[in-house]
Amino acid sequence: MQTGLTPAPIDWVLLMPLLIVFGTGVVGMCIEMLRPRSNNNAIVATTLLGLAAAAAYLIGTWEYPTIHTFGELFLSDRVAKILQLLIIAITFTTVLYSEGYLRERRLPFGEYYPLLVWSATGAMIMATSTNLLIVFLGLEVLSISLYILAGLSNREQQSQEAALKYFLLGAFASAFLLYGISLLYGATGTTQMEDLRAIWNTPLDKPTVGLLYAGLTLILVGFAFKVALVPFHMWTPDVYQGAPTSVTGFMAAAAKVGAFAALVRFLDYATPMSDAWVPMLSALAILTMTVGNLVALVQKDVKRILAYSSIAHAGYVLVAVVAYGVLSREGSAAQPVSVVYYLIAYSFMTVGAFAVVSLATRGGRERTELNDLNGLWERAPLPAAMMIVFMASLAGIPLTAGFLGKLLIFRDALDAGLVVLAIALAVNSVISAYYYLRIVLATVVQKPALHAPRFANPNAGLVATCLVCGLAIFALFFAAQPVLRELEAPQEVFVHRGP
Amino acid sequence: MEYISTGHGETLTNPVFHWAWMILLAPLAGFLFQAALDKKIEQALGKAAGRRLLGFFAVLPVALGFVVSVVLAVNLAGLDEHSRLVITAWFNWIDLQTLRVPFELRIDPLSLTMCLIVTGVGSLIHLYATGYMADDRDYPRFFTYFNLFIAFMLMLVMGNNLPLVFIGWEGVGLCSYLLIGFWYEDIENAKAANKAFIVNRIGDWGFALGIFLLYWVYASSQAALPLNETRYLSFDVLLPFAQQVLPEFGPLVVTAVPLLLFVGAVGKSAQWPLYLWLPDAMAGPTPVSALIHAATMVTAGVYLVARTHVFFELAPIAMAVVAGIGAFTALFAATVAFGQTDIKKVLAYSTVSQLGYMFLACGVGAFGAGMFHVTTHAFFKALLFLGSGAVIVAMAHNQDMRNYGNLRKYIPITYATMVVAWLAIAGIPPFAGFWSKDEILSAAFFTQLVQAPQLLWLIGWITAFLTAGYMTRMMMLTFFGQEERWRKGVVGAHAHHDHASTHDNAAHAAHADFSNTEFFLSDEELAAEREHEEAHHHDLTPDHEPKEVSVSMWFPLAVLAVLSLAGGAVLSGLNPFAHLLGAHLPHLFEEWNHPSVGLSVFDPEGAFRKSVAIEWALIAASIGAAICGIAFFVRRYAKGLPESEVELQGVQKLAGEQWLYDKTMVRLFVDIGGKFANAFYRIFDAGVIDGIFVNGSAKLVGAFGLLLRRTQTGLVRFYAFIMAVGVIALLSYVIYVTTR
Repeated sequence: MQTGLTPAPIDWVLLMPLLIVFGTGVVGMCIEMLRPRSNNNAIVATTLLGLAAAAAYLIGTWEYPTIHTFGELFLSDRVAKILQLLIIAITFTTVLYSEGYLRERRLPFGEYYPLLVWSATGAMIMATSTNLLIVFLGLEVLSISLYILAGLSNREQQSQEAALKYFLLGAFASAFLLYGISLLYGATGTTQMEDLRAIWNTPLDKPTVGLLYAGLTLILVGFAFKVALVPFHMWTPDVYQGAPTSVTGFMAAAAKVGAFAALVRFLDYATPMSDAWVPMLSALAILTMTVGNLVALVQKDVKRILAYSSIAHAGYVLVAVVAYGVLSREGSAAQPVSVVYYLIAYSFMTVGAFAVVSLATRGGRERTELNDLNGLWERAPLPAAMMIVFMASLAGIPLTAGFLGKLLIFRDALDAGLVVLAIALAVNSVISAYYYLRIVLATVVQKPALHAPRFANPNAGLVATCLVCGLAIFALFFAAQPVLRELEAPQEVFVHRGP
Repeated sequence: MEYISTGHGETLTNPVFHWAWMILLAPLAGFLFQAALDKKIEQALGKAAGRRLLGFFAVLPVALGFVVSVVLAVNLAGLDEHSRLVITAWFNWIDLQTLRVPFELRIDPLSLTMCLIVTGVGSLIHLYATGYMADDRDYPRFFTYFNLFIAFMLMLVMGNNLPLVFIGWEGVGLCSYLLIGFWYEDIENAKAANKAFIVNRIGDWGFALGIFLLYWVYASSQAALPLNETRYLSFDVLLPFAQQVLPEFGPLVVTAVPLLLFVGAVGKSAQWPLYLWLPDAMAGPTPVSALIHAATMVTAGVYLVARTHVFFELAPIAMAVVAGIGAFTALFAATVAFGQTDIKKVLAYSTVSQLGYMFLACGVGAFGAGMFHVTTHAFFKALLFLGSGAVIVAMAHNQDMRNYGNLRKYIPITYATMVVAWLAIAGIPPFAGFWSKDEILSAAFFTQLVQAPQLLWLIGWITAFLTAGYMTRMMMLTFFGQEERWRKGVVGAHAHHDHASTHDNAAHAAHADFSNTEFFLSDEELAAEREHEEAHHHDLTPDHEPKEVSVSMWFPLAVLAVLSLAGGAVLSGLNPFAHLLGAHLPHLFEEWNHPSVGLSVFDPEGAFRKSVAIEWALIAASIGAAICGIAFFVRRYAKGLPESEVELQGVQKLAGEQWLYDKTMVRLFVDIGGKFANAFYRIFDAGVIDGIFVNGSAKLVGAFGLLLRRTQTGLVRFYAFIMAVGVIALLSYVIYVTTR
C-alpha cells in the first residue's frame, strides 16, 4: 500500500478514455448552458464525437501493456479495456437514437446527454478499478446520473415514481455495499482488493473470518442490487417501465456491465473465500433465472417483459461468474471469457430491443403494451426485422451471439461441475423462448386494431442503432474466434510502484 | 493448392495433377452459368439459338472434364505402379483439434476410371439430351441439374475423404430427386421422386453411421497412426492402417464398419431390399435414366465398396452378405424384368440385376472384376437407355412395348446400335458384357472367401440365362416381327410416362400457375409456347409413322455401340482366352486398376490357374446360357406378341409385380406404418408430449408466474423488506459457514 506522502506515479494513458468520456459530458453541459433554448444537435454531435474519440484512443492504445497504476487504484487489463469499449459502444448506440425518441416524447432536455455520458463514466470506473472505495465511487457516479435520467419525464407520474423508487432502494443497497466495505476495512485495514487477498491467505482468527465473510456478503448484496439479482430485483420492473425507454435500454446494458465487471474482479480477488460465495451465488443464480423468466411469462407490457428478461439474463451471467470462480480456483481458467462474451452479446441485444420498443411513441405519449407493437412490421419493416434478431438472440437461437454466449456459459458450468446450474440455465432458456416469441408475434404477425396509436417515424439514428446491434449480434457469432482469442490471451501485469 | 503427394508421402513435382480440380470445377461452372443466365440467353438470342448456345455450354464442361481425365490417366499410367496415387489438397474444410478434413482430391486408377466413365459417357449423354430435350419447356433447367449432377458425381468419386464423398453422395441424390421429378406437374412423377429420396434415406443413414463409427475408431485407436495425423476420415489414412486399427476394437466393429458402408451402397445402388425406388425413377426423362440411373450414380455403391475394399476383406461375414445380396438381387430383378411391358422398366430391372452382379463380384473378392463390369455396363446400359429413348421419341412418347413391333424398318440406326447393346448385355463374345460377366462368374466359382461358391456361380449363371432372355424379349417385341402393333390400336391406359406435358386444359392451367416462365415471357410468347407444345405433343395413333432421330441423338448411340462392341475385349486384352491359350496379352483394366482395388481372380498365385478344363467349361457354360436364352426367346416371340401377353397373366404378371414385394413393402411401411405413426402421434405426441409435457408444464409455469407476480406490489417498503430478507438469509448462511 502507498503511503500518503510519495505522490503515486500516474499513467495517464490508462485514464485517458475515462477522462475523455467525462470531459465530453462537461463540454455537453457547457453547450447546454450557453444556448439553453436551442435544439440538442450540437450536444448530440459533441457527445458522439467524444465517445468516438474515447473508443479510438482505447483501440489505439490496445497493445499498451497492462498496468496497475494511480496508486494501484486502477488496473487496465484486457477485460477492463474490452468492457470499457463495450460501455462506450452502449452509450454511443443509445445516443444515436435518443434524440428522435426524446423529441417524440417531448423531453427535449440537453442535460440528458451529459448525464448519460457521466453515468457511462461511472460504469467505466467500476470496470477498471481494483479498490473497493473507487468501485463504490464509480457505482455512485453511475447511479446518481441514472436516478435523474429515470425521472427525466417530469410531467409523468410514472417516471417520477420510478426515479424515486430507484433512488430510495439504491440508497438502501449502497448502504449495504458501504457497510460491507467498512467491515472488510475493519478486519484488514485496507480497501485494496489484492491486499485483501493477501490477508485472506494468512492464518486468521475466527472473529476476523466472520467479519470478512459478513463484509463479502454485504458487498455482494450491493452488486446484486445493481445487476438485479433476485431477491434484490424488486425495483427493476417498475423502474424499467417508468423510465424513458432510451434510459431503460442504457440502464439495462451499461449498469449491468459495470456492476458485473466490478463483481467479477472482486470475486477474482476473493477466490480464497469461494467456498462461501459459490453456494450463495449459485442459489441466487437459480432463483434469479427462474423468477425472472416465470414472471416475464405473465407480463403484458413489453418494457416489463424486457425488465424481467434482463433479470433472467443477469442470472445467466451469474452462472458464468460462478463457473469462472470454480474454474479459476482449480487453475483451469485465467480469464472470465464467457462472462465478458455474454455481457457483450447481451448489451447489443438489449440496447437494440429497447431502441425498437422506443418506436411505440407518438406525440409525447408512449404505449408499450404488447399489442401496441402490432403493425410495426408494416410501419417500420427494418426495425421490426431487427426485433426478430434481438429476440432470437435473447432466446438463444443459433446463428446469434446469444446462442453462442449461452453455449459458452453452459460449457463452463459443466466443466466446473455445476450440473444443477447448467440444467437450470437450459430449462430457463426454454421457458424464455415463449415470451420472446410473443414479442415477435406482436411485432411481426399480429395486425393492429383500427384505432391503434401510430408509431414514431424511425429516423436514421434509430435505424443505425438497430443495424449496428443486429450486425454485432451476427458478427459475434460468425466471427467469434477473434473476440474469444482476444479474451483468452494471457497477459502480464506491470505495477507502477513509484520511484 | 496446398500439397500434392503420392500415397507414399513423396512429393510430386508434376503440376499436371492439379488439373484434377478442373474436372470438378468445370461442370460446377457450367451449373452456375446455366442457373444464372438461362432465361437471359433464351431471351437475348431467341429460343432456338439460345438453346443451341446453352446446350453447347452444357456439353462443353463435361467434355473438358473428359479430356483432362484422359490427360491425368496418361500421366498417372506413366508413374511407377505403386506410386499411382496422387492427392491434391486445396484448403482445410474442417480444422479441429481432433479432426481435420481438407478439401482434397484423390487421383488414382479407381477414381480416374470413374471420372472417365462419368465424363465420357456423361458428355455423350449430354449431347444426346440436347436433342432429346430440345422442345421441352424447361430445357435450361434440365441442363442446370444435369451439370450439377456431374459435379457432385465427380466429387463423390474424386473426394479423398469420407465427408467429401458424402457431399457428393447426397448431392447426386438431390440431383436424382430433382431430375426424376423433372416433370413435376404430373403427381406420379413427384411421387416417384419422393420415393427415390425417401428410400435412399435408409441407405444414407447407414453410410453416415459408418462414417461416424470410422471416426470414432480411428480417433480413439492406439495403433501407430503417423504423428499428428488428424485426417481420420481421409482415405490415405483410413485404408493403409485398417489392418492395424480395426481389429483392436473386436470383431463387432470389424464387421459393422463394412456392413454400415454396404447399407449405404445398397440404397444408392438399388439392391434388394432397397431397390424399390429405381424402377419408379424411370419417370424422369430418358437421358436421366441413362446417365444417373444406369451408368453412373447407381454404381456409386459399387465404387464405395471397391474404394473401401480393405474393410470388407477384414470381415468374412460382410463379404458373404455382399455376395449374397448381390446374387439374390441379380436373380430376383432378372425374373421381374420378364413381367414388364414398359421398355424403360425392363431396362430398370436389368440395371438392378446387373448391379447385383457387380456386388456379387465384390462379395467374392473380385473388386477389379466388379469395377470392370461397372465400366462395360456403363457402355451398354447407357446405349440401351439412349436407344430406348430414341424408340420412345420415334413412337410419340409411348413406352409400352406391346404397341411396338418391326421398328427396325423405321429406325435402322437405333436398331443397329441396340442390337450391339443387346448382344453385349446377353454376354455373347466378343461384345463388352461377356468379358466382365465371365470374370465375375469365374470369380464366384473359384473364390475361397465364402462357403459354397458354386451356389453363387449357379445363381449368376441362371441370371445370365434370364438376362439374355428378357433382353431378347424386349428386342423382339420392339424391333422384330412383321406386325406393327400400334396400327391395330394402342393398348395401355396411361401409356406415356416419359413425357408429362399433359394436354388437358386443366393441367395446362395448373402448369401456367406453377410456371416461372410467366414472369419472364410476355403473354403472346407464352401462348405461342403453349401452342407449340400442344402441336408437338401428340398421342401414338394407328397412322403414326416412326422416324429416325436427329444426329445429335444417334451419334452418341454410335459411339457407345463401338464401345459396347470392342471395349470389353480391348480392356480385358482378350483374357481369359488369351492366357488359357498361352498368349500373354495384358489385361489392361486389371493392370491399370489393381493398385487401387487389389488383384482379383487373375492373381497368378490364385486359384484360377488350377484347372484349365474347368475354366473352359465355365466359359462354355456362360456362352451357352446366353445363346440358349436368346434362342429360346427368339422362338417364343418370333411370331410377335403372344396372346398371353396382351394382358399379362399368371406367373408373369406376378413377376411383373415384383413377386408382390413392392406391394408388401408399401402395405407394411406406408399403410400400416402410417397408421402406427398416426396412432403414435395421437396418443404420445398429442396426448403425452403436447398434453402433459408442453401444455401441462406451460400451465404449471404460468401459474407460478402469476403467483410470483403478486409479490410485485409497487410499494417501496415491501421491496426493501424483500431485500432485507435476502440479506438476512445470506448472512445466516455465512454465519453457518463460519461457525461450522
